[in-house]
Amino acid sequence: MTYEPPITDYDYIVENCTCAFCGCNCDDLDYLVKDGHVVAVRHACRLGASKIMEDMDQRLLVPMIRDENGELMEVDWDTALDKAAEYIANSIRPVFYGWSETSTECMKEGLALGEYIGAVLDNQATICHGPSLQAVQNAGYPIQTLGEVQNRADMIAYSGSNAMNSHPRHMARYAVFCRGYFRQRGRFDRTVVTMDPKFSDTAKCSDKWIGFEQNGDYGFYNAIRAVLRGKELYQDVISGIPKEDIYELAEEMKNAEFGVLFFGLGLTHTLSKQRNIDIAIKMVQDLNKYSKWGLTPMRGHFNVNGFNIFMAFETGFAFGVDFARGTTRYMMGETNTIDLLVRKEPDCFMVIAADPGAHFPNGANQHLADIPVIQIDIHWGPSTELADVVLPGSFIGVECDGTSYRMDGVPIYMKKAIDKPETCRDDEWIVRELKERVMKLREEPNVAPKYVPNSNLDLAM
Amino acid sequence: MVRIGGIIVHYANTYLEKPVVPDVKITGEGNTKVLKCMLNTGSDIYQGACKKRGSTLKEEYKNASGTCYMDPRDMAKLGVNNWDTVLVKTDFGEVVVNCAVSRDAPHEGTVFICKGPWANTVVSHDTYCCSDPTYKGIRCTVEKTDRKVLLMADLMRWVYKKYVDETDDDVVENMDSLGELPVYKGRKWEELIDHDL
Amino acid sequence: MMEYILKNGIVYDPANGINGEKKDVMFKDDIIVDEVSADAKVIDVTDKIVMPAGVDPHAHVAGPKLVVGRLYRPEDSRMGVSQKTKVLRSESGFSIPSCPTTGYRYSRMGYGTVVEAAMPPLEAKHTHEEIATIPNIDIPALPLFGNNWFVMEYAKDKNIEDLAAFISSWLKISKGYGVKIVNPCGSEAWGWGMNVHGYDDKAPYFDVTSREVVMALAEANEMLGLPHSIHIHPNDLGHPGNVPTTLETLDSVKNIKKSSKATIRDQVMHVTHLQFHSYTGNSWKDAGSGAVEVADYINKHDHITCDVGQVTFDETTTMTADAPMEYDLFKLSGLKWTNKDIECETAAGIIPCIYSKKSPVSTLQWGIGLELFLLINDPWKVCLTTDHPNAGPFMRYPRIISWLMSNEKRQDMCENEVHKWIYKRTTLPTIEREYDFYEIATITRAAPAKIYGFEDRGALTPGYKADIAVYDINPNDIDPSKQALDIEKGFTVADYTIKDGQILVKDKEIVKVKESQNIWVNVKGWERQEQKVIDNIMPFFTQYYSVKWENYPVQDHYVSNPIRVDVEK
Repeated sequence: MTYEPPITDYDYIVENCTCAFCGCNCDDLDYLVKDGHVVAVRHACRLGASKIMEDMDQRLLVPMIRDENGELMEVDWDTALDKAAEYIANSIRPVFYGWSETSTECMKEGLALGEYIGAVLDNQATICHGPSLQAVQNAGYPIQTLGEVQNRADMIAYSGSNAMNSHPRHMARYAVFCRGYFRQRGRFDRTVVTMDPKFSDTAKCSDKWIGFEQNGDYGFYNAIRAVLRGKELYQDVISGIPKEDIYELAEEMKNAEFGVLFFGLGLTHTLSKQRNIDIAIKMVQDLNKYSKWGLTPMRGHFNVNGFNIFMAFETGFAFGVDFARGTTRYMMGETNTIDLLVRKEPDCFMVIAADPGAHFPNGANQHLADIPVIQIDIHWGPSTELADVVLPGSFIGVECDGTSYRMDGVPIYMKKAIDKPETCRDDEWIVRELKERVMKLREEPNVAPKYVPNSNLDLAM
Repeated sequence: MVRIGGIIVHYANTYLEKPVVPDVKITGEGNTKVLKCMLNTGSDIYQGACKKRGSTLKEEYKNASGTCYMDPRDMAKLGVNNWDTVLVKTDFGEVVVNCAVSRDAPHEGTVFICKGPWANTVVSHDTYCCSDPTYKGIRCTVEKTDRKVLLMADLMRWVYKKYVDETDDDVVENMDSLGELPVYKGRKWEELIDHDL
Repeated sequence: MMEYILKNGIVYDPANGINGEKKDVMFKDDIIVDEVSADAKVIDVTDKIVMPAGVDPHAHVAGPKLVVGRLYRPEDSRMGVSQKTKVLRSESGFSIPSCPTTGYRYSRMGYGTVVEAAMPPLEAKHTHEEIATIPNIDIPALPLFGNNWFVMEYAKDKNIEDLAAFISSWLKISKGYGVKIVNPCGSEAWGWGMNVHGYDDKAPYFDVTSREVVMALAEANEMLGLPHSIHIHPNDLGHPGNVPTTLETLDSVKNIKKSSKATIRDQVMHVTHLQFHSYTGNSWKDAGSGAVEVADYINKHDHITCDVGQVTFDETTTMTADAPMEYDLFKLSGLKWTNKDIECETAAGIIPCIYSKKSPVSTLQWGIGLELFLLINDPWKVCLTTDHPNAGPFMRYPRIISWLMSNEKRQDMCENEVHKWIYKRTTLPTIEREYDFYEIATITRAAPAKIYGFEDRGALTPGYKADIAVYDINPNDIDPSKQALDIEKGFTVADYTIKDGQILVKDKEIVKVKESQNIWVNVKGWERQEQKVIDNIMPFFTQYYSVKWENYPVQDHYVSNPIRVDVEK
């Protein structure tokens, strides 16, 4: 990397913009704008800056449709929207996947379309914190806002999460280095423990690294729980960690005044999946008998939590909601995107503000090669290589306003700083147009003639 | 500096051709032909920055995502050095990637590939009924190869073959590269601004 | 212009003293009028009950803890699933219905206004997003003040004027209606895994007692002259032996003078879900009912109103900003426990709860709730709630009405259904009082509207909003004490629900869905003091909140269609 002088040539600054990268949603970014473009960003981390200083070479600017030679042809909006609406209207098992990098306002339109046509709506939680949500449904969800961590926490544990790489300002702004009301000396008032098989960049700047062995997460937490409950450990080494270290760590955790466990995909992607989170949640619940502990999943996309929250208040279920029967239905491992694709169920796939081409396993993506794929995104990416209709959206938090939810559930209004490219459209507009066009093409299926209350409600009627 | 709609704009550059890795010269004999390892995937800051900037067609993404980070002792066993190419195979597929010394070493016996189209070809789609594929802890083999690491568009064509008639892997692998820039056909977007909607 | 006459109904309108008169009710567009032209459409409601649309003074229907409840209890969501129709979206949820479902179910019961009882200012945007998603009912929300760090500082310094300016400012910022206090100082203590015990205990590090916080807020509330009084969930909720704390809390504000601007309400403190605060004993082993004592206090004093939080014997989800209490419940039941602390402001806890007729504790709680209803003489001082979803889902209101109207039904339940503690630990079996329709109309409409100082609803006064409910019950023909099930059926689905002059329910079916409105209080004339307070707290805010000040307020974007209540200085 070479040294670059700071940008001094700009027209004006837009202050307090919200970063549209990770679940930290830092809302203190300043954009330097020149000729209607963001030319530099202040306060952002490497990831945030990189996203906002986007690669205009690959910016999707015009709607495109695949022609018979398999090449993407630029077309006008009407043609592209009609084609996409036709694919959706003619399908019997459409899946609308993504949503985590757009606003809840856009999700609202998408949900209306999904409920009308009977689609499955799912988001990136399905490939990241889906098991965490399942564990939350099993065991509970003791969390706190990030300001609580900043003001009170004296012990921070990162488990299966490499914050320095995936949430670079998390430690600085919310959890570790920052000064808090009860932690005036910042980093010096806190103990940081990283639990990860890998000696990650986060582990390198922690006070303690617990390098349990691969797939050893469950055993490790189980051992801590046993110690917390006053049991004796019989094995000398558990999950690759000497039992003395486990005793010592459990004691430290008990003696913390306010501890927080941040966990990431290191727990959800290994073999025990939701069981890892289950036991971590139960460990935190046990710790509350001695002191105050909470946890927070390190959500990846800036609005992945937003989709879960949005779907929960609109439909009662967080993700993977199936409207095919005219009811809301959710079954973990059945109505989720990867499972649907592996079973080759969908016959139309709309991806909005997501990139399955880059992040789905081959075994799931193979089915996308066999069905029409509609992409709504801002950049030409791996999913574009699988897409049959491409609709260029706009960049939330930079070119378009909207609501997002931080990893701890704090809602943030992301404001608009500059105008979008002339030929692009807001995601919300695109999805609303699709909805209206689909409604013209097809009568609403699966409508009951009369409301019948669920008998479980035990209503006197 | 970038040209946008005919205007040249100077902007802070975050492009980085290759991730920074430990500059270690490996001097192993390379006695092992096929190394059995545990494969983990996930993100790192280079992959994240490049992906979200949108530079996925470029060399940068190939190097950030299509690289297998290894313990130097494992590299010595295979006799490979930074930015040599290796073939990674699992029960779910195979892919050619770069290899480089891991910043998080030592972790002998474990290799790490950042998430992306390259890792996708070798990870498990098994969700065990909990929505999430198994992206970590997959048994794999790593061997030295002379094959090239494909750029993103070429790799997608090679894996999914959605828009090529050819079915033979080798033929698709050696087709002309689709390049590092989007290919736009039809009317140019500049022309569409005034007429459309 | 649309005009309607509801003809020949039997009207119960306690605010206007109308008790079961056969009378026409007329409305023009969205307003009730006393005459209409000959073109008015006639709706025949002969011998059916006509009441103002219901007003729920305390329910948890929108906001961050609701959504966590839905997110982590799919088993509850599944219980209420129904298929979509041409008018309705698919429903879901039993104790924590989705937002559209909440609106539909209230509408079916003939309700028009529901107060969301706890809104953390930091996440107020979220609450308002949900309010905008709930159709058919108007929803004011009460922001939480009882554990706010700034409030505790002002209370410690006895700086009532700045506290008033702070409240005024925070109502604008969060688009809130009034002052909610939950376990004052206790939720802050929960920040360290502790609680306060009693009314005179201090929050750690803050050197201020619960009593000081409550009294300061009550004085500030009256200084501003807000339409609603302070709305309190006292300390020690759900703990056997909490009666003294409750009575001390009620008694502490008796000398605070009600503002002369608050002309509609009489009280200076509304105490919520009083049932949970009326336990005697030292532990669950020797717990008993304190309802007699508590009801007696309320009967003898006019500065207090309450709602009950009646237990309904369902599997429900408890959720409250009283987070330490939820952890206590977790230690008792071991069910999945959720907690949510909010920086510098409050905390919240959630846990599923099964109220069973076989359980002695559930039975005791059920009995205490009914005792309070029956022992508080003046129905204007007590409102019907289940503290939805804490003691039961709101869709059980019709069932509670049937219990209140029938001693026979209650005696039957005591004898045959519930645990024998009902005889040993409560006085319920000895109470014979039965509510009449007029009293039911009071506790479900007129009293809550008066307590909140609503000037446009809760009565069928000309000039008020045309919010009307018609029930298919003929009061001349039914004997509520013998026909409990028919009463329950009658109130479960209204024949007509009219909101803002729009017919939403017709012939027991929802025929229309309309956008809901948020109601918030805008205090005028405090702008200078508000600015001073904001300037003073800004350095603290910048340092210790995790969002920027610019991102803190609820932007107009989130309250597209509000009803603003102006309070003049």
